[in-house]
Amino acid sequence: MEIVLETNNLEKKYKDFRALNHTDIHIEKGAIYGLIGKNGAGKTTLIRIICGLQEPTNGSYTIYGVNNSNSNITNVRKRMGAIIETPSIYGEMTARDNLIEQYKLVGMPSMDGVDELLKLVGLENTGKKKSKNFSLGMKQRLGIAIALANHPDFLILDEPMNGLDPQGIIEIRELILKLNKERRITILISSHYLDELSKIATHYGFLDNGSIIKEISSEELMKKMEHKIELKVSNPKDFVQYFEEKKISYEVMNSKTINVYGKYNLSKFINELSKKSLIADEIHEIEESLENYYMNLIGGGRVD
Amino acid sequence: MIKLLNASYIRLRKSKLFWLLTIFSIGIALLMIYGQYSDMKNYGEVIEVEQLMFNYSTIIGIIIAIFTSLFLGVEYSDGAIRNKISIGHKRTNIYLSNLIITTITSLFSYILFIAFIIIIGIPLFGGITMSISKLIMLLGCIFVTVIAYSSIFTFIAMMISNKTITAITTIMLAFGLMMIALTCLNILQAPEFNDYATIEDTGEYKIEQISNPKYPSETKRKVCQTLLDINPAGQMFQIAGRTASNLKMLPIYSLGILVVFTSSGLILFKKKELK
Repeated sequence: MEIVLETNNLEKKYKDFRALNHTDIHIEKGAIYGLIGKNGAGKTTLIRIICGLQEPTNGSYTIYGVNNSNSNITNVRKRMGAIIETPSIYGEMTARDNLIEQYKLVGMPSMDGVDELLKLVGLENTGKKKSKNFSLGMKQRLGIAIALANHPDFLILDEPMNGLDPQGIIEIRELILKLNKERRITILISSHYLDELSKIATHYGFLDNGSIIKEISSEELMKKMEHKIELKVSNPKDFVQYFEEKKISYEVMNSKTINVYGKYNLSKFINELSKKSLIADEIHEIEESLENYYMNLIGGGRVD
Repeated sequence: MIKLLNASYIRLRKSKLFWLLTIFSIGIALLMIYGQYSDMKNYGEVIEVEQLMFNYSTIIGIIIAIFTSLFLGVEYSDGAIRNKISIGHKRTNIYLSNLIITTITSLFSYILFIAFIIIIGIPLFGGITMSISKLIMLLGCIFVTVIAYSSIFTFIAMMISNKTITAITTIMLAFGLMMIALTCLNILQAPEFNDYATIEDTGEYKIEQISNPKYPSETKRKVCQTLLDINPAGQMFQIAGRTASNLKMLPIYSLGILVVFTSSGLILFKKKELK
């Protein structure tokens, strides 16, 4: 599978503050990669670096195989579109004029696609209304249209659902899915709206304190979220050894908690454990949400 | 670069600020013509139309400061620079295209002003009395100084990401340069001797010339003249007043300003951490 974006030990320091700390992410072609992290986790810093607004303090990244130290990196960025924090639109201009300006900027030979793009994002009827008077949702959609002007293969959306009403969130979600499915655009989307991300992402990267603590595909995540047995134990090593032998999917969340993924008959499972003298202090059967998974993850250690 | 300039041209055409500048350039030309025409009618003054062409140069610095700070300030406030970089435009090209667009617009403002002075002024006040080569030389000096002004204000606008701070800084700098130039001119124009009148015992008045204590020393004169020559506002005052003693040096100083500010701007903008 072709890798669109890869970061390698990426580090960013602002004086004494370390915004990114040995960050490694891998985005495959065709993916909708959900970058999840609380405020200040380093999501926007990572996106700023990828988009060339800032230089990493250490480490490197490659876009379509081109390293950031290669002068060709600016050419590769011509295959990208991005919205970073707020959409880049001139408030004094109409949606159409903003798109025409962007078409000129990316060197499109004709303005033929402008109306189609406005239709795609549902702004074909905005007429002479200046974009500064648009609602937040309309601005976001115009921002996406602008980011699509150069027919990008890779789209970066930083918090595109921030401040949107439920209708606006649905519109943006459907647009993202459409772009991914119909135009085969790889999308990196950062958000802290976990439920919304879970409806569109094919892959996730969990960012905490500047580090990626887990990368997982939505399929794997779904498996983990389908069913989970949480064990509170005082001797996790013995349990881990047993799970490894039996090839049971598990995750050590902290020194006293182990999660076991998959569907098991709870009483049979406990019996099997007792036969090996593995006694848990507490056992809970849980159906997990992305939110719970995330909270456990940032509360727990690194998972390999 | 061409793509950046094409896009900036689209933005310029749609910019209220640009149309305000255009109206201002025409308005100031009409106002100057009206004022001079009134003086000619009321007091019989002889008006040289070429002098009118030079007068705009004394305030063009402030106009360029306002236009550049507000036009380029939007590049940061509306996220345009972020957009340009993220779609693969080189920082050097972004900086240079912004410099080119503000310079061309500033020159356009001056040329438009001159065009109205010529179209309306010549029929009212008569033809140009100065030799054409001298006129072209003086206007050429003004245009090079306009380029120098644009390079200074583009530098500030590209270094400061906040539109309001950029506007305050550039406008204050434009006024500051004017104040420095006026102070230097004042010092240089001080007479070497003052007339001093005394009454003799016979009751007759006697006029004596005594040294002016405020007359600057040779070193101070050199410093003031250099400051005046380097300073774009000083250059404009000298050209408009036709008092430039080093006229041929003025464009060289202006080109020096252009090179220093643009090369520093390119280096710093390349390293600038953007948000």
